[in-house]
Amino acid sequence: MLRQENRLARGNLISWMDKREYQICTNCVMDTSDSKITFDGNGVCDHCNGYYRDILPKWHTDERGKLALESIIEKIKREGKGKDFDCIMGVSGGIDSSYLAYVVKEQFGLRPLVFHVDAGWNSQIAVNNIEKLVDGLNLDLFTDVINWEEMKDLQLAFFKSGVPHIDVPQDHSFFASMYKFAAKYKVNYILTGANYSTECVRNPMEWMYYQSDATQLKDIHRQFGQRPLKTYSLTNILWHKIYLPYIKGIKVIKPLDYVPYHKEEAMQLLVDRFGWQRYPQKHFESRFTKFYEAYWLPKRFGYDTRKVQYSSLILTGQMTREEALGKLSKPAYDPEEIAHEFEYIATKLGISVEELQGYMDAPKKTYKDYKSQESIYLAGAKMMRLLGLERGGKR
Amino acid sequence: MLRPRIIPCLLVHNGGLVKTQKFTNPKYVGDPINAVKIFNEKEVDELIVVDIDATVLGKEPNYTLIKHLATECRMPLCYGGGVRSVEQIDKIISLGVEKVALSAAVVETPELITLAAEVVGGQSVVAVLDVKKRRLGGRYEVMTHNATKKTGLNPVDLAKKAEDLGAGEVVINSIDQDGAMNGYDFDLIQKVRESISLPLTVLGGAGSLQDIESLISRFGIVGAAAGSLFVFKGVYRAVLINYPNRSEKDALIKGNL
Amino acid sequence: MITLVNYGLGNIQAFANIYKRLNIPSEIATTPEMLKRAEKIILPGVGAFDWAMKRLNESGLRESLEERVLVDKVPVIGICVGMQMMANRSEEGKLDGLGWIEGDVKRFDESSFTQKTHLPHMGWNDVEPKEGEGLFRNLQVDARFYFLHSYYFATRHPQHVLSTTDYNGRYASSVRRDNIFGVQFHPEKSHQWGIQLLKNFAEM
Repeated sequence: MLRQENRLARGNLISWMDKREYQICTNCVMDTSDSKITFDGNGVCDHCNGYYRDILPKWHTDERGKLALESIIEKIKREGKGKDFDCIMGVSGGIDSSYLAYVVKEQFGLRPLVFHVDAGWNSQIAVNNIEKLVDGLNLDLFTDVINWEEMKDLQLAFFKSGVPHIDVPQDHSFFASMYKFAAKYKVNYILTGANYSTECVRNPMEWMYYQSDATQLKDIHRQFGQRPLKTYSLTNILWHKIYLPYIKGIKVIKPLDYVPYHKEEAMQLLVDRFGWQRYPQKHFESRFTKFYEAYWLPKRFGYDTRKVQYSSLILTGQMTREEALGKLSKPAYDPEEIAHEFEYIATKLGISVEELQGYMDAPKKTYKDYKSQESIYLAGAKMMRLLGLERGGKR
Repeated sequence: MLRPRIIPCLLVHNGGLVKTQKFTNPKYVGDPINAVKIFNEKEVDELIVVDIDATVLGKEPNYTLIKHLATECRMPLCYGGGVRSVEQIDKIISLGVEKVALSAAVVETPELITLAAEVVGGQSVVAVLDVKKRRLGGRYEVMTHNATKKTGLNPVDLAKKAEDLGAGEVVINSIDQDGAMNGYDFDLIQKVRESISLPLTVLGGAGSLQDIESLISRFGIVGAAAGSLFVFKGVYRAVLINYPNRSEKDALIKGNL
Repeated sequence: MITLVNYGLGNIQAFANIYKRLNIPSEIATTPEMLKRAEKIILPGVGAFDWAMKRLNESGLRESLEERVLVDKVPVIGICVGMQMMANRSEEGKLDGLGWIEGDVKRFDESSFTQKTHLPHMGWNDVEPKEGEGLFRNLQVDARFYFLHSYYFATRHPQHVLSTTDYNGRYASSVRRDNIFGVQFHPEKSHQWGIQLLKNFAEM
């Protein structure tokens, strides 16, 4: 009883903070829709200051970065000798993982296995881009197809829970599948397209709670799911952040942090070289993620993830603040298309448009309303920073 | 100029897409609705969707799924699986499907072809023959119920019969070549092609666009259907929906007709 | 507003879906009253000629349809058998057609066919429009549509031919007389080309 009351009280605390006076960073475009944001005397937010303080000084994409990456790559090649592939690489069809494939295969001569997780929402462009890269770079592909009935049920459970982070079912499965594969086939290196260049500003935890928190996922599934998770891959923070790297020696590498990565130039290169197709909107690799970021989060909660993306690009000199503000003045979704997309999402989930609208309008919950391993994450992040193992990070 | 049709064929099992080999060992491929949506966006010529449970389990077709799939198709859709009566055929067509495929019914109740043609038109009635090569004698035999029931019938005779009864198209599905990805069975196709003048579609064995090119080169106007080819990629048979784009398709046809 | 005539035949839903996607309003007409206020009409059709004529005659919609089309000159487009019904008669059946465009519907002459496969004419074929504007705007070059039929419309007057297609000889793949259009192919199942044509019809 008391725990429930505490949860409600914390929920109320967050909504009270919404009533704070509006303020936007003078440097990037993050604002008080991130209720935990703080500003310094110059009106510059803690996202920016955190970047300048923690990330920028140690982020090298010049000779230093190249040398550091080459040394890692040498190790990967050495350990992978005689095997069919020396590492696995998570590929969604999006720009980051696509450019990653190009860099590690063509520039550094690795032999990665392209690892794609099909959660049932692939757009035609994503599938086409993966095909073009696999053919153009002569790579091998492995696809893990998530059981759609389980994914559907889990996604509906998240809708019913009322929380913002309804893309956890997809996100969690992407990483869990890769970790499981690496552990099963003793692949020591997992490459991802995660990068500072376009992601140095992270989505606030309040907007997107940790996708890897299996405790939260399981609690929401237990309360609202209708079928058991039999084949759905689950990971948990202790397993993949401590056990896998430190006991099993399976490491996650982010090569794009060691080389110059300019998003627009990267896209053009892929278009010219491989017939890669540009996406009309960000995250359109997955139809669900597009709905989630362009409509669900901004419309229901007022969380516009474009602010996070554009702020990252502003900090890394790929977009001006004016440009960002101009783009943000238009809605994140296309008003002409949204009704059709809404209907597709509902149809595919096996519910009516009315039911989906019901979830849009239901009372808002937060990650604090369900069980979580948040304390472990906070403790772990602190320790990682103290040990100098990670910079930046979510808050 | 009329073009040969290149047709992805999808199998539905327990509500999900699967791909088989020699009609067994179904491998899970994913959600049918998203797959059909992607094929539609790739502007495929036509699509065949077969429910491989319906006949064997004696179930009704899944009309809800059929409707959702038809909604996603801006190209003709052919549905097969568990079709036994004119009422079912009429209902399926009314959900927005262009053609209905009959398989077990061609053997067990062939008059259904004529009855259906009267209601929906012969062009919408497709006779699908699953064919296996007999181990002894090397002759071909039609089988039903996911290659579990022998019929003792010759595909050529059955194809001719379907034509006489008013079907609009015949699909020859090679059980031996299913999922093998090493080429169509040209002998089988030749035999049936010579015996009927209906549009003929062949399925089973396509492993590359070259296989389709050879098929067109040899048989001209024909329906080249494939399952594995458009759903798998590479040595690990990784699920990735693919289909030739317009210029690749035109290249397959040019100089081969 | 595009009015889709529902007399029990043809893939009405496919047309409705396309117009919905284009954000062009459409409605499915099941009563004479709905036809009376129609501004643009689509007459779908699939299957045998007599079956289609019978369904149309028994639907109770024929009178209002003809008034709208022949008297009020509202644009109408017939699809596949919907187009064939506009002829005087068809070799496929015994019933009279609507007679809106003079001509007969005939079976393709298979004796002249050179390839193994004969009828139905099934698949994607090229369409060469006579006019650049109107129904075939942006479809002058490389237009291809899906065909599925064994009979074709032989118009009495050549000027009623709107486009031709080659299937062992050229024949009319679409026809037109004033406000009355007919297409032999299925624009509702011809991807972007069909969508463009249906959009053109709505915007004419």
